[in-house]
Amino acid sequence: MVLVLALGDLHIPHRAPDLPAKFKSMLVPGKIQHIISPGNLCIKEVHDYLKSLCPDLHVTRGEYDEDLRYPESEQLKIGEFKLGICHGHQVIPWGDLDSLAMLQRQLDVDILITGHTHQFKAYKHEGGVIINPGSATGAYSSISYDINPSFVLMDIDGLRVVVYVYELIDGEVKVDKIDFKKPQTAA
Amino acid sequence: MSTTDATGSRSAKHVPEWLNSPAWYSKPSHPLSPALSRAQSMVEKEENKPINDSVEDEKFENEERSRQVEDHPITGGYFDQSNSALGENARSVLASSPLNAPHMPSFPSHQSDPSSSFLDGKGSKKTTSGAMRAQAFATELAKKRVHIAELQRLASEGIPDSGGVRAITWKLLLGYLPKNREAWDAEASKRRAEYAAFREELLINPSEVTRREGDGQAELYSTGGLLPRQEISHGDHPLSLGTTSLWNQFFQDLELVEQIDRDVKRTHPDMDFFSGDSDFSHENQEAMKRALFIFAKLNPGIKYVQGMNEVLAPLYYVFKNDPDRENMVHAEADAFFCFVELLSDVRDNFCKQLDNSAVGVHFTMGQLTALLKKHDEELWRHLDTVSKVNAQFYAFRWITLLLTQEFDFPDILRLWDSLLSNPDGPLEILLRVCCAMLICVRSRLLAGDFTDNLKLLQHFPSVDVHHILKVADEVKDRA
Repeated sequence: MVLVLALGDLHIPHRAPDLPAKFKSMLVPGKIQHIISPGNLCIKEVHDYLKSLCPDLHVTRGEYDEDLRYPESEQLKIGEFKLGICHGHQVIPWGDLDSLAMLQRQLDVDILITGHTHQFKAYKHEGGVIINPGSATGAYSSISYDINPSFVLMDIDGLRVVVYVYELIDGEVKVDKIDFKKPQTAA
Repeated sequence: MSTTDATGSRSAKHVPEWLNSPAWYSKPSHPLSPALSRAQSMVEKEENKPINDSVEDEKFENEERSRQVEDHPITGGYFDQSNSALGENARSVLASSPLNAPHMPSFPSHQSDPSSSFLDGKGSKKTTSGAMRAQAFATELAKKRVHIAELQRLASEGIPDSGGVRAITWKLLLGYLPKNREAWDAEASKRRAEYAAFREELLINPSEVTRREGDGQAELYSTGGLLPRQEISHGDHPLSLGTTSLWNQFFQDLELVEQIDRDVKRTHPDMDFFSGDSDFSHENQEAMKRALFIFAKLNPGIKYVQGMNEVLAPLYYVFKNDPDRENMVHAEADAFFCFVELLSDVRDNFCKQLDNSAVGVHFTMGQLTALLKKHDEELWRHLDTVSKVNAQFYAFRWITLLLTQEFDFPDILRLWDSLLSNPDGPLEILLRVCCAMLICVRSRLLAGDFTDNLKLLQHFPSVDVHHILKVADEVKDRA
């Protein structure tokens, strides 16, 4: 069992002062093994805060990130799954399923974590799954002002993933899950 | 160390006469294994002292009755080399143990004078040969209704290693198996089912629970489209802070699991059985971890205390090496319940809150000091006032871990035979054994200062456990 936290597009401090308090109280060190973020944390303090939750942090570069050293995209393997991260502002049209599926094939990953649209989405596609964890602070995006803060926690074990979706709706945290399996590959 | 000093003061104060038993001073008649010669060199140091030989011999004669058969009293029946269940490392431990040395320093065997003796009976029984002892056990265990007092008497002299006799005897002595032989199978399967239920209930992996619930609903992502979101069951999710949350429970237990894991990995690092790299030893480690975790969950007052792994280890080892396949497979459950039984006698020593109370470990150590004072006041005074070695420094470990750290593994098993078979409970004999251990090295203790004594007691030299047990018996007889 590996717990992977995926969150992005925080836009602190430009569009939001901090993570919602209800999220912050749930995010405690010692539970999560990896954090992956498609980017737009913006400042170093947020980076440090995430590091304090879990030292294994993978961030790709969003267009507002101060830290220029974040890579454009990153691949990593957790359990049986190949994960890819990319912020997604480079992929046009923004949030387009077919374009993202192309990126996912390029990176050769099972699960692609992307951001930029600030809207939670989880698609399955012939080659794998594309997840957009949304904005963890509920910051506005270039597309929409009406954003519910959300992030994603993946419980990866073997060939099966349970994705927990945390969404703050009217001040209450709503948790849903998405359960999926990776098809057995012949190779 | 200066022996003259020690002797000088010894003649002045009252030394228990039985301390001068020639058992301490016997010379090896054959080349010795390294471990034995180490023990021997210690004994030899004592030999330089003037001894009243005539008194000695007379005393000694009483112990050695003519019932001695061809086997030596010490080697008799105690570690059977054909025990194939032993791991390689255990074998090497054995090979270096004095018990396995081809020839033991032998007791002179004189004709006895039955009239004056404090050692009567007890000493003579030890001369029963291994074969006879095994036979006696077989007879006792074959009875429809096992006579516990008789079994205790037999076991106090050492249980044969072969044929799983020790496993059955320990289970009986600890009250895990009923006296009635016919009820054994039913009782064992009842307890094993109970343990399986504990495992089911307490060793929860929330991730698997979720998976089990979601079985059949999990989507294979072979076709395209939006993935469906489902409501979560019972409001439980990995970040939940609720008290009823399985996940929250799981994370709270994580610390405990890690602590047990660390300690179990360090249990008997010299033995393949516990700390090897094979699947077998990993399996053993997992079993011990589960048992300790379940114990901690069922006893929230004590939880897990470092050292419990050492107490569980001999039980698990003995049960796992039972030649009976059924028993071997369920060694984990059996060891768990026997561990509970054993700890019910000594659990207060593990409880930190009780440390200073009338049942805690400090009190127990006080009892040990009192016992020593009663039997060897000179040694007590030396430890207490001259070298100021507080019992906490050494006896804490001796008592809480039931001596599992002080001896080689085969010796531990032999010691435990006596511990478990004591009619007054393991703690009573444990104190006597600890007292005997001190007396066994008294001349070195009397000659040493604080540092020497501390070093000596914290790394107890390899002294034959049979000597120690004999002295422990004598401590009782004189009580």
